[in-house]
Parts: sequence; structure tokens; C-alpha cells
Amino acid sequence: MTVHVLETEGQVCPFPLVEAKRAIAGLASGDQLRIDFDCTQATDSLPRWAAEQGYPVTHFDRTGDASWTITVQKP
Amino acid sequence: MILTGLVLGAALGFALQRGRFCVTGAFRDVWLAKRTRWLAAFFVTIAVQSAGAFALDAAGVIELGGGAFPWLASILGGLVFGFAIVYAGGCATGTYYRAGEGLVGSWIALGGYALAAAVMKYGPGAPLVEALRGVQAPVGTAYELLGVSPWVLVAVLVTGTGAAAWHHLRKDAARPKPVQLPSRRRGIARILFERPWNAFATAVVIGVIGIAAFPLSWATGRESGLGITTPSANVVAFLTTGDVELVDWGVMLVLGILVGSFIAAKGSGEFRVRVPDAQTVLRSTGGGLLMGVGAAIAGGCTIGNAMVGSATFTLQGWVSFAAMLLGTGLAVKLVFGARRSGSPAAASAPATVGV
Repeated sequence: MTVHVLETEGQVCPFPLVEAKRAIAGLASGDQLRIDFDCTQATDSLPRWAAEQGYPVTHFDRTGDASWTITVQKP
Repeated sequence: MILTGLVLGAALGFALQRGRFCVTGAFRDVWLAKRTRWLAAFFVTIAVQSAGAFALDAAGVIELGGGAFPWLASILGGLVFGFAIVYAGGCATGTYYRAGEGLVGSWIALGGYALAAAVMKYGPGAPLVEALRGVQAPVGTAYELLGVSPWVLVAVLVTGTGAAAWHHLRKDAARPKPVQLPSRRRGIARILFERPWNAFATAVVIGVIGIAAFPLSWATGRESGLGITTPSANVVAFLTTGDVELVDWGVMLVLGILVGSFIAAKGSGEFRVRVPDAQTVLRSTGGGLLMGVGAAIAGGCTIGNAMVGSATFTLQGWVSFAAMLLGTGLAVKLVFGARRSGSPAAASAPATVGV
């Protein structure tokens, strides 16, 4: 199992989500994608996207003021 | 009593920030993600406000209707504004609330927007705006055009919006619930500063704030509801002329949005001064300036036209709403079209970490 890291800090929405969709498309089944982001709106859009796509979220937390990290697994 | 504007603006800024209510996002989703969930939520703010506004009109508290329809300016300004908000990374209210979260890109967009709106309303651009807005059709509202009671249109709007909201709420319920951040707080602090707000609940709150804006603003002699563009232009005009007359209820409202979103962001650990990269600075500058130009021509932004104008069934409101949506679609093609087809240089490839 591999964790791929996508750093999107500094990018405004919807770029973190756009990048996440691109990145996960190239992943092997079972691999995880960790997305670090600081766009507030993505705290709603990223977990909602994962839920809609049926991707399990293995980790979702704050990493500081206005910074977050979420890890989703490609089924 | 213009201070009620500050209080209501703060409530609006708080709700926008906590609810992550972004009209640009709602319009963009239609084209980029082919999703209408946030657009449906935006319609909820219109429908709630519409019922409230016409009730206030019937009670004689405010007076709606009348006026002409500057059709050319509504279409042209709406297209420009809808196009610009994608580059600016938010519409007028979105830019205000993100500025309160510490996004420097939004500070730049906000400055450009307010400056351009002042240039077009009070400065050298005023003759152009006047000429464009002089191209008019005689009837200003949809119900006067159709010759029906406004309540017929309110009923249609509320029914249609209710059906759309119901559809999305049922879809939400049928899906697995999105994962939430671990909670760190309890009680009132959790409710205010941590718990995610449902999009449709946020929309109802904003709709109610929009209703309250009418009598509060009317009481101070400013005979309209929520509005962002003219107040923003007035801030610039006041700062450069010192004319205190310009500081009205609307100016307090927009300042309140900054205060409210800052309180919401700070209280929930979501405030941080975030400096953008060069490309975002360019986009924010251009987008902000164009936003001010578009809004001045159209006679309003996503709030003044697409929300309040639509709620009061002005033709300017609905036509510029449609034009904004089209303008957003065009900008989405330009900004995200190239990205999607994939130039590897534009994408930040994920780094691989073996575990």
C-alpha cells in the first residue's frame, strides 16, 4: 500500500478538488491519496466528493490554523 | 440607525463563512462538476426572500415594483460579472468573507472590485454606464410584464425551489454521510464554531437576513435590500472625497460582512493570512477589476441582482442572473478546460511516499 501526497496549500477552491480528482485517477487500487489543503470550502467539498464516489476516508483532521489534511483510499 | 447595517452585515458574514456559502462555487459547479446542489441552495435564499419581501410590500412596510428594465446593461454587465468571479475566486460577498478569513488574494480582488465599481459609478466610467443603462424596456418587473399578481410568481418560485431542495436533501440522505472533522468543542462553542452547517439551512438563514435587510435599510432612507456593489463604490468614494453622506446603511452592511466572517473564522481556527502565488495575484487583480465593471453596468452583483433582484422579480435581476451563469460557464471553459485536457506543467503531481 502506498500513500501519495498532494500538496495544494495556497490553492483556492475549487483547485484542491480538481487536482484530487486528477491525482486519484492515476492511482492503483488500494493506494491512498493524502491531500493537504488550506481552502476552507474544501472542508465541505472534499469529504462530500469522497462520500459520493464511495472512497473510504482513512484520516481527516486539522493541521493548524486554516490548514487541513484528508486521506482517501482508492477502492 | 445605520448601525443595524453593521449588525446585520456581521450576521451575514458569519453565516457565509460558517456555511461556506459561495455563489461563485454554486454557478461554477453547474459547469465544472455538473452539480446543481449549491445552485438549489442559492434558489432557496431567493425563494425565502421573495415570500418575505412581498409580505412586507403587502403590509406597506416597503414598496416594490415600478421602474424600467435596462436590458442591454443587464445582459452585458451580467456576462462580464459572471466571467470575472471565476478569476477573482469569489463573487462580491464571497470575496468579502474570504477577505475576513485572511486570504490576501481576496483582499486584492476586493480592492479591485470596489475601485472599479467607483470608477464606473462616480468616475470617468460613469457616462458609459449611463449610456448602457439608458437602453431600456419600459416595464421593470416580471409580474407587471405578465399582468399577474406577484404572489403567482412567488408561488411558482417557492414550489419549484421546494421541489429542487427536496430532491437534493433526499439524495444527500441516500448517500453515505461525508466524514466530519474530529470535534474538539462542546455545547454552544461547537454549534457556533465547529459544527458544519447544512447548505440548505445556511440558505434559509441568509434568506431571512435578506428579508430583515429591507425594513432595516428602509428605516434609514436607503430604499432597497441587501446590496454590495454601490456600498463598495461608496467606501472608495468616501475615502477619496471625505463626503460623509456616502456612509449609509449599505456601507455599514459590507463592513459588517468583513467583521462577521473574521469573527467566524477566528473563532473556529480558520483565520490565517494566506499569501497567494503570482498567478493567483494576477487572476485576483484582473477578476476583481472586471467584477466591479460588470456589477456597475449590470446594476448589481450576485446579491443585488441575482438574489434580491430575482426575489423581487425585477427583469434586471433574472436576466442578469442568467447572463452571470453563462459568463461563469465561459470562464470555466477557459480556466479549467486546458487543465482538464491535461498540460502536465499545470498540474501538481502527487509525491509518492512508501509506507
